[in-house]
Amino acid sequence: MSAAVQANELTRRFGGFTAVDHVSFQVETGEIFGFLGPNGAGKTTTLKMLTGLLAPTSGSAVVAGLDIAREARALRSRIGYMSQRFSRYGDLTVGENLELFAGLYGVTGERLTRRRAWALRMAGLEGQEDRLTADLPLGWKQRLALGSAVLHEPKLLFLDEPTSGVDPMARRAFWDLIYELAAAGTTVLVSTHYMEEAEYCHRLLLMHRGRIIAQGPPGELRSLMTEPIYSLRVDHAPRAVESLQHAAGVREAALFGRDLHVVLDPGRDDPDAVVSLLAAAGHPVHGIERVEPSLEDVFVALVRREGGAVPA
Amino acid sequence: MDRARILALVRKERRQLLRDPKSKRFMFAAPVLQLLLFGYAATTDVNRVPTGVVDHDQTQQSRALTDALTAGDYFRIVLRSDRSGDLGRALDGGKIMLGMEIPAGFAADINAGRGARVQVLVDGSNSNTATVAQGYAGRIVQQFGLREARRLGVSLDRGVDLRTRAWYNPSLTSRAYNVPAVVGLLLLLMALLLTALSVVREREVGTLEQLMVSPVTPGELILGKTIPVAIITLIDLLLVVTVAVLWFHIPLRGSILALLLASSLYILASLGLGLFISTISRTQQEAFMTMFLLLLPFIILSGFLYPIMTMPAFFQHLTVLNPVRWFLVMVRDIFLKGAGIGDILLPLLVLGLMAVAVFGAAAARFRRTLG
Amino acid sequence: MRAPDLHLGRLLAVARKETLQLRRDPRSLAMAFMLPLGLLLFFGYAISWDLRRLPIAVRDEDGTAASRSFVAALEGSDFFQVAERLDSRAEVGRGLQDGTVRAVLLIPRGFSRDLRAGRRAPVQLLLDGSDANTATIMMNYADAIAARWSQQVVLRGQQPPGLVTAESRVWYNPTLASRQMIVPGLIAVIMSIIAAMLTALTIAREWERGTMEQLAATPVHRLEVVFGKLLPYLAIGFFDVFVSVVLGILLFGVPLRGNVLLLAGMTLLFLLGALGLGIFISAALKSQVLATQVALVVTYLPALLLSSFIFDLRAMPAALQAISQIVPARYYIAVTRGIFLKGVGVQVLWVQGLSMIIFAAVGIGAATAAFRKRISA
Repeated sequence: MSAAVQANELTRRFGGFTAVDHVSFQVETGEIFGFLGPNGAGKTTTLKMLTGLLAPTSGSAVVAGLDIAREARALRSRIGYMSQRFSRYGDLTVGENLELFAGLYGVTGERLTRRRAWALRMAGLEGQEDRLTADLPLGWKQRLALGSAVLHEPKLLFLDEPTSGVDPMARRAFWDLIYELAAAGTTVLVSTHYMEEAEYCHRLLLMHRGRIIAQGPPGELRSLMTEPIYSLRVDHAPRAVESLQHAAGVREAALFGRDLHVVLDPGRDDPDAVVSLLAAAGHPVHGIERVEPSLEDVFVALVRREGGAVPA
Repeated sequence: MDRARILALVRKERRQLLRDPKSKRFMFAAPVLQLLLFGYAATTDVNRVPTGVVDHDQTQQSRALTDALTAGDYFRIVLRSDRSGDLGRALDGGKIMLGMEIPAGFAADINAGRGARVQVLVDGSNSNTATVAQGYAGRIVQQFGLREARRLGVSLDRGVDLRTRAWYNPSLTSRAYNVPAVVGLLLLLMALLLTALSVVREREVGTLEQLMVSPVTPGELILGKTIPVAIITLIDLLLVVTVAVLWFHIPLRGSILALLLASSLYILASLGLGLFISTISRTQQEAFMTMFLLLLPFIILSGFLYPIMTMPAFFQHLTVLNPVRWFLVMVRDIFLKGAGIGDILLPLLVLGLMAVAVFGAAAARFRRTLG
Repeated sequence: MRAPDLHLGRLLAVARKETLQLRRDPRSLAMAFMLPLGLLLFFGYAISWDLRRLPIAVRDEDGTAASRSFVAALEGSDFFQVAERLDSRAEVGRGLQDGTVRAVLLIPRGFSRDLRAGRRAPVQLLLDGSDANTATIMMNYADAIAARWSQQVVLRGQQPPGLVTAESRVWYNPTLASRQMIVPGLIAVIMSIIAAMLTALTIAREWERGTMEQLAATPVHRLEVVFGKLLPYLAIGFFDVFVSVVLGILLFGVPLRGNVLLLAGMTLLFLLGALGLGIFISAALKSQVLATQVALVVTYLPALLLSSFIFDLRAMPAALQAISQIVPARYYIAVTRGIFLKGVGVQVLWVQGLSMIIFAAVGIGAATAAFRKRISA
């Protein structure tokens, strides 16, 4: 089974600034492949190169069997794309937007009728064909964008932060749609900075400052983090955090709601020391348990390991 | 070039344009309103100009001369006085544009056959109307003199009898010249504005990127944008010409086919310009300002407001590059001189070449900025 | 009503912010400084209404010394230029039709005979009437030249008895150089366009970006905001006017006969009004795009057409003259022309001065009121 996407040392520079730095990876057919990282990590730039919108400064990639540099034009009919900003026409109705994209991608006749009905059903916009797109709430707008992006049944779908600004309920619903598409055989490449969304992907690429700092399934990535994490319950968490700031063996201490999350140095798995420290400082610990690192923790740990500053 | 894709784009543009009431008003009502405004305001005719007369003589003849001044409706007497200083003050204050002072003994001198002289003062601030007004006043006085001489039996019927006749526009109303020119300018404005703004707006909003990632080619995109604008501009042409002919009674003596051909080439050039502007502007704001800046020299160097032949040689040569200039020549000839295609071959050719060149260069640049 | 609690310090803080932003915006700077000067140079050099050497064609069917003398008189005036001598009457229409000549002079046979016999000798002048303006001027000039020639050559310089003549003198612009008329007006037009556009541009941007709300959260008063924003643009406007005046005098030879201080004062009033109008438009419309468009339409068209810049207001239909009463550029042009060319003072210009005071008050008032919706006093 040949890979749906094969990227080889993709690099993109803007003047003196390197946005994407020698990125190589492979995406299998039918996968949901996620690009995870903070703003400015290079996710959007990478996606734009893969879709042929931006030419790489160096490196190459093969998408759906086509070389992005030489066959970009042919590429367009085979892929679907949803940009970061909402990019459908607000002053057109739902139906008119669908019709436009059908026309652009050559979806006609009986196929048009079928796909149009499917898109409306999938987006939950049946009966709303005559509604102006600008009047739709954001979640519905995104679903319309998704529907119009796959009208022509592309093998590959590129989604650039498709759920930014959307409420969690709508986000969950959106991801259900993505799952449906992937199950039907579409390869989905999606970028996000929501760590919890990353959990929904089959495989992830963690990016920071244009470079890959890790790749693999979410579970595997979590195991990359060797620093133990504990959740503690105390009375006055804010003041307790302060007393742990320069404590020995403590990599990081942060508030987590009312609780404290403490990351210990790797190899110093000594939670009792922390408890005694806190008790001595006047913060008796009422409960302690070890927790699984979240992808955010992994990310921060990896970045720190590289010696880089953790972005805000 | 896929026709279906172009059609899809054109349909989208049409829907967007027609849905917005503000843009509908702008596209169709604004040109008509502007034509009306320009048509009435853009007049260089000397018409009912406020005049003052100081009559030191107060005789039948002096009054006859004063009356003669108002004949022909060039002058309108708003000040009658017998104090010299009043004329100067009125000129200073801008109350009158021209003043005539008739000296004491005017009638006596004429009747005695000695001849008489009147003073005419003209406000030269607007040199154009001043020249014309001065000329008219001089003529009126001269005619008056001839009539008086005839009455007295003095034979002054010697010398040259200059008879003038004006072709194409016998009544010599400046509107006949200005209104067709305004037609040209309005078309340019429309084509530029609509093309440039619509492309840039899509870039700003982010929908342009979506089009770029679809199978649409740059060429199809260009056609998708310019075809609707071309249609609108042609409709505007019809509207504006109708108003010019029916409302302002500008005669349309030449061939309509020639007008359509000339207009099409002109619109093509304007569309190219609009496309070009869209490639150098990142926001609608910038597009609008660039357009405004470009529009000024185009208008000034077009022969609309200021005659080309009086410009310094350098600027005269510059006007050759201005499509507006060529279009104005054609449009005026078609309206007033009854020109047909055969009469405007040279300007047609030049404009055609220009249109193809501008549109082609703009399209090439557009392609480059997309890829 | 309580007197507003105004602090100069806050006003200056707003002004300083505005200046800093302006300094960092190359496009606005270019527009503020280069555009007016560019326009002035461009207009000043390119445009002129001084018609000279208009090409005419001559068909002389008489061919006598007299007819040749007459033609020479026309040509010698520097106003006409004989471009073609026609060989037949049939060719008469062609030159007019294809625009190569502006008029055709037709001297019939018997011209000289008529003159010697003491009769009036008719001569035909066919004008290209499509350009009515030039045609009218040609007609009047030709008349004058014909009359003078008649007097000199036919009547041999004798003042015939009973001839009534008009001796005309042109005030303010004796040479009728059109540049003298254009340049003072141009300054006014440029200023009204720039003032409105500049403020519409930069201030609408603030509304769009939301930084205006930031301002609203501070104790600043509306009037302080308005005047604080006005200050840098006032400075720019004055600078522009100053340079334009100097250029006008040095490069174009426009005389400055009146009081410079009066010019400065009137300029101040005009700028206040124009800038205030710009602020009002941008505050009322929220969007940059819309604000620029409206500012242009509301200032550009009237400043060009209804201000007497090119087209004499006195020759327009009454309705337009009425509308022009509320076009501020009209008053400012009267002021600039008055001070430059006529050398008049307050006694004459007080009407315009009053109008501009009203304009300034309305402009600033509207601007301040527009802020009410966003910033509470």
